[in-house]
Amino acid sequence: MSLTRNAPPVLDIPEPRPPATPPKHKLWFYRFDTKRTPYVFISPFFLLFAVFGLFPIIFNGVVALRNWRLDDPDLNGWAGFANFERLVHDEDFWNALGNTFGIFILSTVPQLLIALMVANLLNRKLRGTTFWRVGVLLPYVTPVAASTLVFAVFFSRDNGMANWLLSLVGFNDMNNPLDWRAYKWSSWIAIATMVNWKWIGYNALLYLSAMQSIPKDVYEAAAVDGAGPWRQLWRITVPMIQPVLVFTVVLSSIGGLQLFNEPMLFEENPAAATGGSDSQWQTIAQLIYKVGWKDLDLGYAAAMSWALFLIILIVAGINAFLTNRLGGGRR
Amino acid sequence: MTRFGRRGWALVAAGLAGALTISGCSGQSLEGGNDKAADGQITLKVNFWGDMGLDKLKAAYEKDHPNVKIVLNSGEYNAQHEDLQKKLVAGSGAPDISAVDEGFIVQFRGQSDKFVNLLDKGAGSYESKYLPWKWQQSMSKDGQQIGLGTDVGGLAMCYRTDLFKAAGLPTDRTEVSKLWTTWDDFINVGKQYVSKTKKKFVDSGTNMFNPVLAQQPQGFYNEQEQLQMDGGPKVAFDVSMNAIKAGLSANLASFQPNWDQGFKKDQFAVLACPAWMLGHIQDTAPEQKGKWDIATIPGGGGNWGGSWWTIPKQGKNVDEAYKFVEWMIQPQQQIEVFKTVGNLPSQPALYKDPAVLDYKKEFMSNAPTGQIFASTAENLKPQYLGKKNGPTRVAVENVITRVQQGSLSPDKAWPEAVKQAEKAAGS
Repeated sequence: MSLTRNAPPVLDIPEPRPPATPPKHKLWFYRFDTKRTPYVFISPFFLLFAVFGLFPIIFNGVVALRNWRLDDPDLNGWAGFANFERLVHDEDFWNALGNTFGIFILSTVPQLLIALMVANLLNRKLRGTTFWRVGVLLPYVTPVAASTLVFAVFFSRDNGMANWLLSLVGFNDMNNPLDWRAYKWSSWIAIATMVNWKWIGYNALLYLSAMQSIPKDVYEAAAVDGAGPWRQLWRITVPMIQPVLVFTVVLSSIGGLQLFNEPMLFEENPAAATGGSDSQWQTIAQLIYKVGWKDLDLGYAAAMSWALFLIILIVAGINAFLTNRLGGGRR
Repeated sequence: MTRFGRRGWALVAAGLAGALTISGCSGQSLEGGNDKAADGQITLKVNFWGDMGLDKLKAAYEKDHPNVKIVLNSGEYNAQHEDLQKKLVAGSGAPDISAVDEGFIVQFRGQSDKFVNLLDKGAGSYESKYLPWKWQQSMSKDGQQIGLGTDVGGLAMCYRTDLFKAAGLPTDRTEVSKLWTTWDDFINVGKQYVSKTKKKFVDSGTNMFNPVLAQQPQGFYNEQEQLQMDGGPKVAFDVSMNAIKAGLSANLASFQPNWDQGFKKDQFAVLACPAWMLGHIQDTAPEQKGKWDIATIPGGGGNWGGSWWTIPKQGKNVDEAYKFVEWMIQPQQQIEVFKTVGNLPSQPALYKDPAVLDYKKEFMSNAPTGQIFASTAENLKPQYLGKKNGPTRVAVENVITRVQQGSLSPDKAWPEAVKQAEKAAGS
């Protein structure tokens, strides 16, 4: 290697130009694009929500403070809080509230527990994984009206399969069959069954997706330490999928308290909206429908739906709080 | 980037426009259905429930009026009325022609400003043709006529001849009629039937309550809209309790799937039959042709049900709608409906028409339905039905159902029925 070496030929590289200042309007657009465009993109949801969600809610609030009877156009004017006062003394409302909570507990608790078990099973190595996963989602895809009508037949008094199954195990007498619609407890169980059937698979898949993100070595370590599958589920899986747990609890609280289709279609005469001969299973949503469209008292119905809204807020809040605590209160 | 931004805007705009068109259009094009097309074609939407025998009429009318297309929309009884109420309030979407039943006519005649006053269209000339009370029932307080009557109920008792024979009871309709002149007789016959066959006699306690109530001079409400439970309702309630206590009731809710099953499985042998019920029996259990017959009902006449054709004001083709309604209530069409589904016309002149009088219903063992129902309808003294008649009836029916379900004892049922009726009256 000679020391004397020609300097490498200087290539005629054009001097890197200083970043050209784009024309002013382009700069403006660039800034606008990065800063504002995201808002434009998400705005359709909010615009639509404002038109179809927010406005009805606010309007509903206004209606709740008014008298508005469809069968008596003269009764139209400000009522103040009279509708809400009436609500407090309305035994139908409290009965419906009790029914709603009863069915809500009978459906949500087993629903989420079973979903957890199902997800845990699906999380193992199985043959035909996709088959099973799609399978548990099928009830969710079924239109609720269709499945509920089938269940209404299933739980019918004279020719129902539920009574037949019970008679097989000796719990029921076919000559004196159980009238599922006659009592609170039996009608609640029937409706909760419909809700559970529909939502278990859906929740199970949510749990499953969360479980898949848990590193396998955590389980291996636990197994080495001697934790059995049951312990692993409660000590590792449940805390680690906690955000999804909170999500499902909140969602099923909202859904459970708004329960409408199942109780409506369980009725022999779906248009009556009384929830059984003695309102055994009339839910609040059903009562709102009845007050609004059967009794034609829109103001009172609006007040009821606002009350339901507040109750849902409270219950969902409490549930989220409790679920958080369940996982150790880290969030 | 800039292009992206522009595209973003375009997307947003397109999306919004799309959303608005979807929401904007649906109210009109899907529900109104009465827009005049360019070629002068007119679509009339007719809402009703059950089977009002319109299929043949529609075809005949369309043939004579090539520019008119009629869309028949049969729905559930309560749902149709509630839907009409909603559309009236909303101000759009109501059908061009809507049937309204006796149970709802009071509610709607109170809103006569939302219906076409048929007197303006010249319906006044039909007043003399109608049963006077039928004409009055659809008349608003300020003298507007919102509906033209289609049919009236009338009452009779349908029974299954084959089941009666098996129970050792007579099957001939005059002999059966003689078995029960009072409701007590009826319950005694029922007891005989039940002890012989070990089957139930009537479909439900509520279908005992309703016809008996219809026979009373006064229903739930007096003309001052006050609830009167101690009159007619008490009489009817007691009859239904006696029937339930005697074990006659199969406890099947009317017009529901289990009830329809009950027809097919011979779960009951008699059924209170207003004229319009014949169509339902025929549609539900066609294989029972010739096994049914019609006897008189205990306790004399009474009316249960019957409808009107109304024309909501918001329709775009009210003139064409009126023409069709006017055509439907002409004797020839009324007789056609009577023959197809059994609905009894509400124009008394037709009761003397040989086409009605000599008509024998083949399905009902050739019973002379024209004679049977015409004679009850002519002697009717109609009840005043209050504004809250519908909900009150549901409330009392629910109490009867609770007794049948065994969750309420028959002795405690009456106070409970009064309580529930008062609640419904105040709702």
